[in-house]
Amino acid sequence: MTFLTRCLLVVSMTITTVHTHASTPSDQLIIALKMSNILSLDPAAATGNDIAFVNANLYDTLIELDPDDPTHILPAIASEWEVADDAMSITFTLREDIHFHSGNALTADDVVWSFDRVLDLNLALATTWKALGFTQDNISNLISQVGKYQVEVAFPRQLDPKLVMYTLATSPSAFVIDKQLVLEHEQGDDLGHQWLTTNAAGSGAFVLEQWIPQDRIIMTQNHQYWGQVPEIARVVMRNLKESQTMRLMIERGDIDVAIGMSVPDIRSLENADDLEIQTTQRGTLYYVATSMQNNILAKEEVRRAIRGTINYDGINDSIMPYYGIFHQRPIKLGLPATLPEPDYALSTEQARALLAQAGYENGFSTTIRALNESPFINVAINLQSSLERIGIDAEIISGTGNQVYGAMRDRNFDIIVGRGGGGFAPHPDSNLRPLLLNPDNSDAARLTNFQGWRTGYQNSRINELITQAVSEADEEVQNALYEEVQSVYQEDVGALFPFSQMINTVVVRADVDGYIDDPAAMTRLRSVTKQAE
Amino acid sequence: MTRSHYLGIARKIGVIFVTLFGLLTMTFVIGRLMPIDPVLAVVGPDADTSTYEQVFQQMGLDQPIWVQYQYYLQDMLSGDFGRAILTGYPVINDILRVLPATIELASVAILFGVGLGIPLGVYAATHRGRLGDHLTRLITLFGYSTPVFWVGMVGLIIFYAWLDWAGAAGRIGFAYDGMFTQYTGFYLIDTLLSGSWEAFTSAVRHIALPALILGLNSVSFIGRMTRSFMLEQLSQEYIKTARVKGLSERSVIWKHAFKNILVQLLTIVALAYGGLLEGAVLIETVFAWPGFGQYLTDSLLMGDMNAVMASVLFIGLVFVFLNLLSDVLYKLFDPRTR
Repeated sequence: MTFLTRCLLVVSMTITTVHTHASTPSDQLIIALKMSNILSLDPAAATGNDIAFVNANLYDTLIELDPDDPTHILPAIASEWEVADDAMSITFTLREDIHFHSGNALTADDVVWSFDRVLDLNLALATTWKALGFTQDNISNLISQVGKYQVEVAFPRQLDPKLVMYTLATSPSAFVIDKQLVLEHEQGDDLGHQWLTTNAAGSGAFVLEQWIPQDRIIMTQNHQYWGQVPEIARVVMRNLKESQTMRLMIERGDIDVAIGMSVPDIRSLENADDLEIQTTQRGTLYYVATSMQNNILAKEEVRRAIRGTINYDGINDSIMPYYGIFHQRPIKLGLPATLPEPDYALSTEQARALLAQAGYENGFSTTIRALNESPFINVAINLQSSLERIGIDAEIISGTGNQVYGAMRDRNFDIIVGRGGGGFAPHPDSNLRPLLLNPDNSDAARLTNFQGWRTGYQNSRINELITQAVSEADEEVQNALYEEVQSVYQEDVGALFPFSQMINTVVVRADVDGYIDDPAAMTRLRSVTKQAE
Repeated sequence: MTRSHYLGIARKIGVIFVTLFGLLTMTFVIGRLMPIDPVLAVVGPDADTSTYEQVFQQMGLDQPIWVQYQYYLQDMLSGDFGRAILTGYPVINDILRVLPATIELASVAILFGVGLGIPLGVYAATHRGRLGDHLTRLITLFGYSTPVFWVGMVGLIIFYAWLDWAGAAGRIGFAYDGMFTQYTGFYLIDTLLSGSWEAFTSAVRHIALPALILGLNSVSFIGRMTRSFMLEQLSQEYIKTARVKGLSERSVIWKHAFKNILVQLLTIVALAYGGLLEGAVLIETVFAWPGFGQYLTDSLLMGDMNAVMASVLFIGLVFVFLNLLSDVLYKLFDPRTR
């Protein structure tokens, strides 16, 4: 046998072994997703939905929301809780049988330290707590240990206790961390941030086995888990940027769950019997935002004209499937306070008349910023074409998140096609605060976390109503206040026009049971099972 | 060694340092001029101003650009290349982690490039103007001009989805991730050392397609250069003399003409290999190959300058090394340069 023949034999043997590996092992769950947003595992510094998903399986929260009914609060680390009569605090009683992966017992001290740490570090997710009025200075007085297994969360001002509860259940910063273990790895006064960037110190249903940034995350089942011990022994998350590769692999059964696939690829799988396409509403909204810093766009008639130039139906029918669903209010769908749709529609004639009324019968030139990815760029092109019909010459500036949202944070834009507005918690404040509130419109205020400030739109009545509603104990009165916010916003033609509410689409193999995509991106894998081959 | 030899070496070292310093300075300046804000990547688009400014200062971006560069050079000279925003690890650890993946891929690809490119080039040169020559030029043109991304996707559809001959994404089947000891970082070796034939098979299946597609480009480059070098040699007087002496055509081609292009070919192969090490970005994306190209691109898109600077410096070093190697080879094999 010649050398060449031997080589060919080895190659052919290698190739013919293929068919035995067409599906993933039944005790492993293989998930493909884009990991470009997973920069740090530290709950205090995490940004983006993907990291919330990872940490929801490594850590526990005090309470959880039922993914089937996100307004229903479920016990987790806290077995029970009690809201004070004055509605100014909540006392949580913790389970006493919880241990971190390190073996350390989880106590109230860990809970208090974990929350203090978020504000002390003042990284990405401190914003969530600062929006509620917690600060570096007041946090240690407000969140305190009552007993070894009791924690009191007092409010910095009158707040709807439901909003605080929802935040505790949905914020990716609300995970409870193993204080003792983390402090063993503290460098200087970093509260273990550097170590937690690439390690985990939780009590969740899975233990971090391997984390290779931008490549893979491997988790194994936590046999000592205080709740339901996962049936899946091992979860492998792999970085896969190319959507078509993802599609080919899930079709072949080499991955079980595909997250972040492009819409054309998802559409091509609609008729596949062995795949399930899950869509879940997220609270974030897609919008067209205009800048009040721009003298032309600051005119009400011009904004009204642009609001009537968005092709809501066309965009939602042709571009948004699997990205979002039709919605035009600044509060997400399904909440009691959300008013029926205002039914804004494309009306070129009316828009042209409004422009003429504003003194721009010959139109004007402007720019539209949009992320250079679907659906943003497609919506921007659609909008550009609609605007052209009423004489507005809009140049599209596409780029990365930096170039689009960075410019918006600097108030250096004309029109933006974007996505935002929180909405993790099933509460109107979760949308209205980031989208419409603008307590100080001066440039010097630099309230960059408020999209209201970024657009430069300020309405004192709306500010009052949002602030009043969040401290209102009576639900009916509160809902009425939120309804008024929407009416005032509609009448005053705010600077930001929602056109769609985000939906998250995940493709799951049919032999995977119990994978329920969470509306707040906290998808937990402990109930997932796989049918044996 | 004479004094002029020492001077020559000193001049060479000086040129290398100036080149690398220029490379670093240019990269640093371009990085700072890019409209990318690394702070936003860290704090997210919804952070408030106090968080933004805190991180801005922690990254040293509040300092004038020349002070930032001075600090960077000082740290670098003491062996500290900083941490990558993208991964949270020291940049050096990252580069050492991603390099084996790329070296493994590039090495298999260059084997393909040399194994097919050289015979094709020689064949085309010895059959100049005939069908074989045209076909070879067509193949090399295809290798040059077809987008790697497209070939990658078509390759996946045919060899993975239809024929089931190759793996799809990653260096190994996902289920084998973390299931064997990484002794060297080269999966083809580590899986064998771990005694896992199944994992080895999976690694072979996964490297085959990206390496072949990546190697296609080298086949084109090496094939075209071989053809050109051979044509030059075949028109020389000594070839005519060899033929007149009655040597077989095989002997004329391989023992005389080919032997004389070996040094040039070594240089070409070395450069092609260097190109593969840093130029496999698209293939690494399509095949989710966690290599150097992808690391550099991701870092660049994020404005992660510590990672970009160290990576660029590394690429610079690779090319400096390859140039030195080719100089040495010329000196060794070509008596005229001595």
